[in-house]
Order: sequence, then C-alpha cells, then structure tokens
Amino acid sequence: MSKLAVKRTVDMQIIGDWVEPRSRVLDLGCGRGVLLDYLIQHKQVNGIGVDLDFEKIAACVHRGVTAYQGDMLAFMRAFPDGYFDRVICSRTLEELPSPAPVIAEALRVGRALAVGFVNHGYWKNRLAACLHGRKPRNAVYTTAWHDSRPANPVSIADFEHFCAEKNLRIVRRSHLRGDWKTPCHVAPNLFAGYALYELAR
Amino acid sequence: MNDAEDIAPPARSEPGEVGLVEPHDFVHRTPFTFESGQVLPGFTLRYETYGRLNAARDNAILILHALSGDHHCAGIHALSDRKPGWWNNLIGPGKAVDTNKFFVLCANVLGGCQGSSGPSSLNPGTGQPYGIAFPFVTVRDMVRAQKLLCDHLGLTCLQGVIGGSMGGMQVLQWGIEFPGFVRRMLAMATTARESAQGIAFNEVGRQAIMQDPEWHGGAYAKGGGPRVGLAIARMMAHITYLSDASMDQKFGRKKKGKADNAAYTFDVQFEVESYLRHQGASFINRFDANSYLYITRAIDHFDLAAAYGSLEQAFAPVQAETLVVGFTSDWLFPPAQNREIALALLRAGKRATYAELDTDLGHDSFLLESPLLYNLVRDFLERGSA
Repeated sequence: MSKLAVKRTVDMQIIGDWVEPRSRVLDLGCGRGVLLDYLIQHKQVNGIGVDLDFEKIAACVHRGVTAYQGDMLAFMRAFPDGYFDRVICSRTLEELPSPAPVIAEALRVGRALAVGFVNHGYWKNRLAACLHGRKPRNAVYTTAWHDSRPANPVSIADFEHFCAEKNLRIVRRSHLRGDWKTPCHVAPNLFAGYALYELAR
Repeated sequence: MNDAEDIAPPARSEPGEVGLVEPHDFVHRTPFTFESGQVLPGFTLRYETYGRLNAARDNAILILHALSGDHHCAGIHALSDRKPGWWNNLIGPGKAVDTNKFFVLCANVLGGCQGSSGPSSLNPGTGQPYGIAFPFVTVRDMVRAQKLLCDHLGLTCLQGVIGGSMGGMQVLQWGIEFPGFVRRMLAMATTARESAQGIAFNEVGRQAIMQDPEWHGGAYAKGGGPRVGLAIARMMAHITYLSDASMDQKFGRKKKGKADNAAYTFDVQFEVESYLRHQGASFINRFDANSYLYITRAIDHFDLAAAYGSLEQAFAPVQAETLVVGFTSDWLFPPAQNREIALALLRAGKRATYAELDTDLGHDSFLLESPLLYNLVRDFLERGSA
C-alpha cells in the first residue's frame, strides 16, 4: 500500500462509523472502489459508485463493487428524492469545477451527505505559499499549476462559510491533523490537514 | 477516492483456441406457442458448445447473437476454414470467457436461417418453406426457446448470459423471464427499447427486400429470392454498424484499384463502395431474406418499458447482477440507451454496473479485440465464481 493509502485508512474508518449498516450508499468519485469495498465488508452496505474513468470502473468490477461510469450530476438526476440513505463525497469536491450543484443534488437524492477533503488552509500550505509565493507542491498537491489537481482547493473556513451561507445543517464534523489520524481540536483551519463533515438537508 | 492502488494482474497462461467444433441440433417435438399466439408443432435450434459442463451442471454461459449472427461463435468447423466463429477472440481456453472454466453455449435464434427453425424451414403442411406463414417471432420467443434448450441439456443455471446489440436485448429478456436461472447478465451496445431511428433503418432494409420483385410475397425458392434487395439492406445496415471516424480511417477517399479519378462513371470508384458491395454480396450467400424481415421486426417490437409498464417494473424480478457496456461512437445504440438500462436496474434496487469504452469503431465496437473490454468481462464473470 502506498503512503497515501495508509494515511487514508482513518478517514475511511470515520466515514465508516457514520454509515448505518445495510444502508444504501452512493459514492461520488468512487475511484477504484476502495471505500465502497470497505463499507461493504464492514457495514454490509448496498453501494454504488460513480466515476468518469473506465479504468476506475474496471477496478470496481474487479473488486466486486458496482459502479457507474459517467457524470455524477446526470447520474443523481436519474433518481428520486431521498433514494440513497447516504451520499459520500470523499476527496471529490476539490476535484470539481463547480461543487455547489453537486452538493445540492446529493442532498436531494441522499438523506445525508458525508464530505471529506484535504484542508487547503493547513499551515504548511500557507507557509509554502508565503515563503515561495507559489502553488504548494507536496504529497497532496502533486502537480504544477498548469496541470493542476485538485481543480478547486477548499479550506475548512471556506467550507464552513459555504454551509452557513447555504443553510446546510452540519450534523457532524471531524478534523484531523497533518498526519490525517490525530484529532485536531484547536484552530482546525490552520492545524487540520484533513476535514470530514456530515451534512443534512 | 482517487488513490491509485495498483492491482497486480494474476498470472495467466497464454490463451488457447477452442479448435475444431461441430454444431448440434436440438429438436423440440411439442407445440410451441409464440407471443403472437401462433403455434408451431415443434422447432429446431442449432447450437454449439465449448468447454465442459461440470457435474453440478451449473457452469454454463450462454452467448446470444445479434441480427445477422449465428450459433458458430468460436472455433472452426474445418481446418480449411478461413475465419473462426464470430466471437472467437472472446471465447476460448484462457480467454475472457474461459472455456477451461465455463461450458459455453450458443444457439442460432428462433426465426433464423442457420439451422434453427425459421421462415426458410419446410412447412410440413405444404412441403414448401414457411415463408411469411412462419409465426411472428419476438425477442421473448427467442429466449423461451433457448430456455427449452438449456432444460434439454440439463443445465441447472446460467453463470452468465452475454450478448451485444440484439444479443443484449436477449440478455435483458433472459434476466426478466427466468430470474432464478441467471447469475450474471452482460449486455453490450444495446437498448431496452428500440428507438425510432433503429426502427427506421430496419424498415429501409425490409423495404429493399420486399420491393425486390424476386421476393414474391416471401414465397421464393431456396437459393433464389430477393438477392438484390437483401444485399442493399445489408449494405445500408452495415453503415450503421460503423462510424464516420472509422470509415474515414479505413477507407477515406481511397480509390479502388486503377479507378480513374477523373472518370465520370457510376462504376465502383471508391474503396468504401467496393467494401459495401462485398458485404452485400457475401451476405446473400449466407442469409435468408425472410429471416431478415422476421428478426428486424423482432428488434422493432422490443420495448421493455411498454411490455411491463415501466423499465423499473420490467426489471423488478431480476436476480442477476448486471454489467452494461456502452461504446462512445455507437450511434445505433448510443451510450445513453445503454446507461438507461443500468440506471433503471439500479432504480429497481438491482446490482448493476455501467462501463463505457471510448472507441471510434461505432456499434461494432463490441466485437472488436480490446484487452480493456476483455479484462472487464473476465473480472465480471469470474468474481465469486468457482
């Protein structure tokens, strides 16, 4: 397993704790189906993933995870209100050019939405930007600005502001330090490397 | 989740060939009532099998062919055969549909002309071919006849039903009609509801046949008949199996042989013309015009939403897990129609996956050799199976 994959086990566990056993789960940006596989094993969920990339879907099939290749908004529009018990957006929001409609649609088809993202306000990112005056480059921000991923970096402060503005109810939140493991209780926008939120309508 | 976790491909031995195969005939000797209400005193299905049926008789995979296909989907009939069966690159020992593991079965559809009962079969009442007195055939009739063949072979279930185009329609119908019998459905380049465009192309093909004076209301002698009309129907249909990009790549504006660029003539000048004429000419030697009418009509009538009230209701009994594969350049059964199958299955609470391959080869993409597609098919069929 890569270093990043090891780091990821904790946020997977936290989302796993939030998910009710045997619930119907939609994973937006499911990638290779690692999280869904974990949820199927540990929570016996009835899960479906959505991703754009054929090879990701093929990896899901290899794992035995059901998945849909295509646009996540178009996918959600094909389902009635509240069809899913929970929608998960794990490290996906920051990849989207326009996350707001996705969040709105996820809260329509899902009774709850779990969001996990890398905190762009983390002090190391700020320091890098301050010292070098350039886009941070590290294990999370691996690419140069011109083939930039993530497309839409978001900080904890940004996200909290967005939820307040859109009147989205934050049911739970969990902030992790730079190791993505240890809980972070002080000044999360500065000291948390990773953030998890559960939203409800 | 975007972490790229490497999945080490399992070591596999070099794929082999099915080799020499021979067709068999299943003769059903009791009356068969078609969806139309018409009855045949019995019917024959010609079929082939590859691989070995296990002791539990539960390792079978059924391959379902498209409009102009047949039961010969893998291997060769004689060492002198120039071409193997139509899906030979998919099926064989160590291939995506692995005949070392599965017992693979494929039958010519009811209404066909490659050995199964169809309009070119002899009507025992008249001693002449049925012609258009043959009962109207639906996709559901084809599937019900195949089930009788499965019962005859003593199969206890099907590990998979696989097909593209009209074969994909049969896949869906199998999962609906015999839900407890089917473990996995793999439908490619298909639809749950034949579109107006699809019906339109079928109708042009039928008109080409029926307007040919040699058609004689379907009552023509074996080997004769509307050869010109059938060839034109095939030429037209063949275009719908390709794409603008693939035709341009394959033929472009290339001239045939020493064709004079400047000559104002209606003889074959472009390679694409020559190719289509060849397609038409070779088709009339292996296909019956009345079968073409019957099978295209069966495709036209295929509309699961109308037949069951809605697509979700149609899929309500399904127990199988489904994989639907669409192809970006398929404009006969475009990706959206394939997606809709997976979405409706999901809405009906079933396990379904949709994958889409980016190819520029059009509708026929599902038949082309693609390691990406084959690995997907193998993973889908073999996960959780013995």
